[in-house]
Amino acid sequence: MTALLEVRNLKTYFNTQDGVVKAVDGVSYDVNRGETIALVGESGCGKTVSALSILRLVAEPAGKIESGEILFEGTDLLKLSGDEMRKMRGAKISIIFQEPLTSLNPVLTIGRQISEGLEFHKNMSLKEGMQEATRLLKLVGIPHPERRIYDYPHQFSGGMRQRAMIAIAIACQPQLIIADEPTTVVDVTIQAQLLELIRNITKELNTALILITHNLGIVARYARRVFVMYAGNIIEHGNALDVYRYPCHPYTAGLLTSVPRLDEPRKTRLLPIDGQPPDLIAPPIGCSFQARCAYSMPQCQREKPPLLEVAPNHYAACWVSQKEQRPWQKKSS
Amino acid sequence: MAKEVVIEVNNLTKYFPVTRGLFRQKKIADIKAVDGVSFAIHDGETLGLVGESGCGKTTLGKCMLQLYRATSGEVFFEGKDLCQLSDRELQPLRQRLQVIFQDPYDSLNPRFTARDIIGEPLIIHNIARGKEYRERVAELLNLVGLAPYMADRYPHEFSGGQRQRLGVARALALQPRFIMCDEPLSALDVSIQAQIVNLLADLQEKFGVAYLFISHDLSVVRHISDRVAVMYLGKIAEISNRDEIYKNPLHPYTQALLSAVPIPDPEVEMKRQIIVLQGEVPSPMSPPSGCVFHPRCYRAFADCSNVTPLLEDVGDGHHVACLLYEQSRP
Ligand SMILES: Nc1ncnc2c1ncn2[C@@H]1O[C@H](COP(=O)(O)OP(=O)(O)O)[C@@H](O)[C@H]1O
Ligand SMILES: Nc1ncnc2c1ncn2[C@@H]1O[C@H](COP(=O)(O)OP(=O)(O)O)[C@@H](O)[C@H]1O
Ligand code: SF4
Ligand code: SF4
Ligand SMILES: [Mg+2]
Ligand SMILES: [Mg+2]
Repeated sequence: MTALLEVRNLKTYFNTQDGVVKAVDGVSYDVNRGETIALVGESGCGKTVSALSILRLVAEPAGKIESGEILFEGTDLLKLSGDEMRKMRGAKISIIFQEPLTSLNPVLTIGRQISEGLEFHKNMSLKEGMQEATRLLKLVGIPHPERRIYDYPHQFSGGMRQRAMIAIAIACQPQLIIADEPTTVVDVTIQAQLLELIRNITKELNTALILITHNLGIVARYARRVFVMYAGNIIEHGNALDVYRYPCHPYTAGLLTSVPRLDEPRKTRLLPIDGQPPDLIAPPIGCSFQARCAYSMPQCQREKPPLLEVAPNHYAACWVSQKEQRPWQKKSS
Repeated sequence: MAKEVVIEVNNLTKYFPVTRGLFRQKKIADIKAVDGVSFAIHDGETLGLVGESGCGKTTLGKCMLQLYRATSGEVFFEGKDLCQLSDRELQPLRQRLQVIFQDPYDSLNPRFTARDIIGEPLIIHNIARGKEYRERVAELLNLVGLAPYMADRYPHEFSGGQRQRLGVARALALQPRFIMCDEPLSALDVSIQAQIVNLLADLQEKFGVAYLFISHDLSVVRHISDRVAVMYLGKIAEISNRDEIYKNPLHPYTQALLSAVPIPDPEVEMKRQIIVLQGEVPSPMSPPSGCVFHPRCYRAFADCSNVTPLLEDVGDGHHVACLLYEQSRP
């Protein structure tokens, strides 16, 4: 079976006053139909830029997709004309952003914003579009949708706006939804509401989902496969079960030990990862994690580790992981 | 281990008036941001404060520090009711009452160097000058894990985690006894959060400072707190010592909050059923009747919309405000 989306060796760079920011520097991943994958990593590691690249929404002229392929149903999105790309966005691939207030249009009613895509992609009239908008708002759990379609974004609470964003994203029944930190600015209670909603809807419509988050709990609950990003690269990926149980990159292992867990006895001390991610303008030669890595060896400073299969369907970009046993893994019982 | 109470809050309320009309402003309602809250924090202790946004956590903390003046109630610190003191009388006490905010970037003056930021309280309170001043700043930088040569940098030259360290250093400058930490980790990445959590714990160990630790992250709160209070719509829903409240949460709101936190383990999450709380926090301008939580409570029964539950001790200092557990109602 071929994947719905295949990102191959994507490089997206930004030209800035200080130099070239290699925001996404050779990233590959794939998403199957109806599947949920997670992209996880700390801020600045390139999650959003990699998502925007798929939709070709990277801010030009500073930002530029340098190379790579983004195959969607076999077609390379990077080769499409502007018009062809517009027909994709919202219709076949849509995106939900972290802060709906900045991505919704403040001077258009919620109903119009949902209807717009339906008018453009599905040739609906305004009346049909508004009817469909009412149905969609109801579907995403907004009370009194027949009245609320006439509201403006500021009249919605944060949680409600995010529901409206979900309604916009699913309006044309796309094959792929990208959710970029959809719950980072809301409370855990609302987070649970929204994520359960997204899960139910994508399941029902058989929509594939790229869930971008920095929250390891969210990944564990909602994604089957996970891709861990660090400094513009994917440094580990595999089935979530394997990656969490046997992390094959010290960074992933470090993330997992930094967070306290409610289901385990309380630790007296957290084990953070020391230091901070490297500057993407002048990343180090060799492994980008070396400065923070407790297992770094001379080779790590000379050569960048490739992403290789270190266990069945489990990939990691780490010299130690590829050669030896992994001292950071919990001793298997 | 009978430790001394550092700060005590008695029946504290803070109402924000809502007015209408341009010229003759008429009060039409009150936002009951904090509505009758009482607790005490002991020396060297951390009280975790959780609850959804809008529940009154920040307002409560600000009232304790007299950054807001309470509508009614008392805040005892070093034997004095701070609410009764004038700004001038408060001034000398402020040294020992400090605050660390959520976004270090918003709370640090961009035109100040790190030295100015950390040292400002030393100048204001006339603590140190000249060489002693520079040494004290270097010492504080060291204490929070920053290098003394960074003293001449501006906030934008620091990463988010480093800026929060600056915030911590500033709060520590005057050797406080109490620090209100208002979501100090929210803007930070997990690996950096852990660094700051450890730093706060070390400093508490070293100086015996007490914290009010406001956070929406219940896992971090469990890690850092000795006791935990859960707040909903201006009131304390439940308060107890840490192990008790996490092992045996009684209030349906606490249960729902805990259930909503996903565990970073796919094996656990694949099987776990969660309580998804419906709706959102209602406006504190017109809070629901009876138990303020009743419209969202999955265990509500008939009485809940009429009767206001009292915060009662159900044993060993575990207090909960829920009719399911009330025994002593006359
Ligand atoms: N418009 C831009 N101009 C310059 N640099 C950018 C721009 N957008 C993003 N970057 C840089 O690209 C890197 C990756 O950013 P981003 O994808 O937003 O990270 P994430 O979503 O993982 O937090 C960061 O170092 C960021 O500073
Ligand atoms: N300065 C203010 N004026 C009017 N209302 C306020 C003010 N500060 C907070 N509120 C209101 O008080 C309630 C509690 O807010 P806050 O203490 O910030 O909650 P939390 O910190 O738990 O999110 C909210 O409804 C908020 O809108
Ligand atoms: S390649 Fe070396 S420096 Fe990089 S993660 Fe592996 S051991 Fe650490
Ligand atoms: S008093 Fe009633 S509504 Fe309130 S928390 Fe208890 S059961 Fe729920
Ligand atoms: Mg992002
Ligand atoms: Mg607050």
